[in-house]
Amino acid sequence: MTLWKKNDIETAMECPMTRRRFMKWLAAAGVAAAMPCGFLVPNETKAGIVYEGGYETFRNACPRNCYDTCSMVTYVKDGVAQFVEGAPESTFTNGGLCVKGNAYIRKQYSPDRIKYPMAQQGRGSGNWKRISWDEALTRISEKFIEINEKDESMLGLALTKYSGNFGITNYGVEGMFSSLGYTTRMVGTPCWPAGIDAQNYDMGNMWCNDPEDMVDARYIILWGVNPAWCSVHTMKYIYEARQRGAKVVCIDPVLTQTAAKADEYWQINTSEDGALALGMARHILDRGLVDQDWVAANSVGFGEFADYLKQEVTLEWAAEKSGVPARRIARVAEEFATADPATIWIGYGMQRHVNGGASVRAIDALVAMTGNVGKAGGGARYGHLMTWGFNYHAMIQQPPKGAKGFLGPTAKGEFDFTKDAEGPAYTNRTLNINKTARELLNATDPPVRALWVSCKNPLSQDFDRNQLEKAFKKMELVVVVDQFFNQTVEQADIVLPVTTLFEEWTVNVGYWHYWLSINEQAVKPLHEAKSNIEIAAALSKKMNELKPGSCTFPTDIDTKEWVAKEFNKGVYDLFGINSWEDLKNGPKKAKANRLAWADGKFGTPSGKYEFRSDLCAEHGFNALPKYVEGRKPYDKLRLLTPHTQFGLHSQFINLDWMEDFNPRPYVYIHPETARVRNIADGDRVLVKNKTGEVTITASLTDNVPVDAILMYEAWFKNNPYNCQNLVDDTSADMGGYKAGAPGVAIHDQFADLVKA
Amino acid sequence: MKKQLGFFVDSDRCVGCMTCAMACKNQYHQEKGVVWRRVYPLKEEIYPHKERAFYSLACNHCEHPACMHVCPVKAYYKRETDGVVVHEQEKCIGCGNCIRSCPYGAPVYNPVLKKAEKCSFCHQRLDANRLPMCVMSCPVDAIQVIDITRLDSTGLVQFAPGFPKQPALNPSVRFRLPRLPEVVRRKTI
Repeated sequence: MTLWKKNDIETAMECPMTRRRFMKWLAAAGVAAAMPCGFLVPNETKAGIVYEGGYETFRNACPRNCYDTCSMVTYVKDGVAQFVEGAPESTFTNGGLCVKGNAYIRKQYSPDRIKYPMAQQGRGSGNWKRISWDEALTRISEKFIEINEKDESMLGLALTKYSGNFGITNYGVEGMFSSLGYTTRMVGTPCWPAGIDAQNYDMGNMWCNDPEDMVDARYIILWGVNPAWCSVHTMKYIYEARQRGAKVVCIDPVLTQTAAKADEYWQINTSEDGALALGMARHILDRGLVDQDWVAANSVGFGEFADYLKQEVTLEWAAEKSGVPARRIARVAEEFATADPATIWIGYGMQRHVNGGASVRAIDALVAMTGNVGKAGGGARYGHLMTWGFNYHAMIQQPPKGAKGFLGPTAKGEFDFTKDAEGPAYTNRTLNINKTARELLNATDPPVRALWVSCKNPLSQDFDRNQLEKAFKKMELVVVVDQFFNQTVEQADIVLPVTTLFEEWTVNVGYWHYWLSINEQAVKPLHEAKSNIEIAAALSKKMNELKPGSCTFPTDIDTKEWVAKEFNKGVYDLFGINSWEDLKNGPKKAKANRLAWADGKFGTPSGKYEFRSDLCAEHGFNALPKYVEGRKPYDKLRLLTPHTQFGLHSQFINLDWMEDFNPRPYVYIHPETARVRNIADGDRVLVKNKTGEVTITASLTDNVPVDAILMYEAWFKNNPYNCQNLVDDTSADMGGYKAGAPGVAIHDQFADLVKA
Repeated sequence: MKKQLGFFVDSDRCVGCMTCAMACKNQYHQEKGVVWRRVYPLKEEIYPHKERAFYSLACNHCEHPACMHVCPVKAYYKRETDGVVVHEQEKCIGCGNCIRSCPYGAPVYNPVLKKAEKCSFCHQRLDANRLPMCVMSCPVDAIQVIDITRLDSTGLVQFAPGFPKQPALNPSVRFRLPRLPEVVRRKTI
């Protein structure tokens, strides 16, 4: 087939109607009349809802936990959000959202939204009754005061919150908890902690280049990452690099959509990423392809690493472990080492293993020894928090006078940007978020009595679901702040309706790209929804009414003003703006920090790239990026539960618009695995392991390996499916250093299945 | 020849993310189950990896539209300026002729209004100098607006494998076929 280039169509047409040129035209000309191809005939047809023109537009930002954190434009008429588009000013979002972002209008106006505060008579009963905000807050406050009187502290009150809404003012939930006193916090993240720590040991921070510079890469390895689904806006840069001659290799246990778009796909044996990386490193060493100048100038410990490779690692061993033929490993290692620049994108999936941090360190080493760290178009890309320098005004609140708390060691999450206060005797009590079920059950002195859930759906996302249900049952009060009656809300006593992105003011940045977006209130909150900080203010008012001085959170707040309070000169300078209000004209990209480690000044104790990290050894791991064995199988088949394209964790999948394209969950089974179990495509099957079971429809495909089965993390409306029935809470190796708790070995799970 | 707008479906770039299909709902808020644009996974006889290559398809705005010819109440017309086939729903009596006649499944039944409806090529957006929502939204530029009359179709196909071959209708769509990666599977498990 003739290789066809995008420009051919553009040049073939008189009318530059392809997307980028069209957008440029709009921006440059400013007026429709300048369009060279006149769509001159106005049409009178009215078929239901159509584009009418005359909209008021607002700036929004998708606040979900996603690489892409899209900058949005919302079109409003008659006070109703009509449709959304991607902001054209962001070269990353580039005018288009994703399947989820395009469903936001339905999320906003879904008849399933929680409209009012409601109380459930008997958790899980579904016997919900509407109550007023005043009644809800009174019941909650009375319980909090009772806890404080009983325990003489607020430690019996626990908060679990993570990434359901990353809008910066939503850290006011943590602020609300601080303003009540010293409390119990679920700390850590199931997401990316092992890799964060690995990069901290190697380089002194998690920091990656602007993804937009991937176009300059001459070689791209996509390692355990599926951007075609999970960072779809990055795909255009990968395509562009390929167009310019880069080779793209995808390494994954599953033939993902990203794999289908690569030049070469390797079906690696799950969790043997470290062995594969080290095998490549050994071959590069043998062939004399190490960037000796870079290594000598910028690193410590390479000699010891080289000795380890020579003594313990061979190409054949790596091939045996990973399942990838030795000649393939050798060839790609040579190509990678000689391409300039070459980059590896390290996915979060590949570090959700008991050896995940060790594997990330091995891959970092591969990138560093070839001199690709600190280069445009190069780098060991994982994520960054270089644009998160807000004031955290909403988050930082003081405890009431005389509050008592916890005495002992505590942990801090990766998004906790507060400075450690000077010498307070009391602190919060921190529990491992990745072991929420057992931590809630086991906490004593005092026990956890009340749980507040916001920006999180633990019963869809946290591990060992059966235990978690027990933990919820033990609570004296469960309050959930949410928009839909999901599986966590089912286990609540009181649910409080929270605003959508269209209904609140906030500000958003990404952990992958370098864009900053304001999120304006585009429409008034529907029904009785309040934003998280408005809920905090209302709770504070009630607490102080019932017990003066019991909560320090301001009781009268203007959410727009609170957005302004998050900004500072550092943010303004980084993004080249004079005021946060400049963002109303469109998102801005950081002017600096977009090229990681270019000056060779690393954040490690030595100030160099550390092939040998003594800090890592101090924390109980290997000083060198050595191979670490994976988890021993505890059942016949490996169980993978990665992210779906149709949702972000448990959000979006429940919407009826999404059901049109994704009506039900499946377990994906290799045809051979199914054959020996007498399972046909479309059969109902029972998937079972030591943790629990799931009944689900089978879909046969050799996209999954013969020794693994796959089902996507999801919450469907009217479907009890939950993959967390099968996932235990075994920890990943790393994460305790920077994320407050080790990660969780989500992909080190095993199960078997039979026809149901 | 007059202008004939159509869709270029680049299966080589398409990642099957369904953004285009949902973008259509974002603009038009169709009833549940009513979908104007679908992202069809290719059968394994055409592309060997299940659900890993796709055609994003809606109305093909044919040169000789079957829907238009069979409509008893002239609810369809073809725009002079750009060849877009428009369905005027207020004229539609819901007889279903168009739904049965289109080999591409473009007109669909709206069970609430009891009428047909289909992809409008976002002609109201076109007239406001905006791209169709599906094209605007595609994050990988895998679906684009083309003028069939001015297109250099080197390397493109009109009747891609699996796409009904109806030359008499002359659908205004062109495809680029998907690539196949070199797949290295584990030898022994």
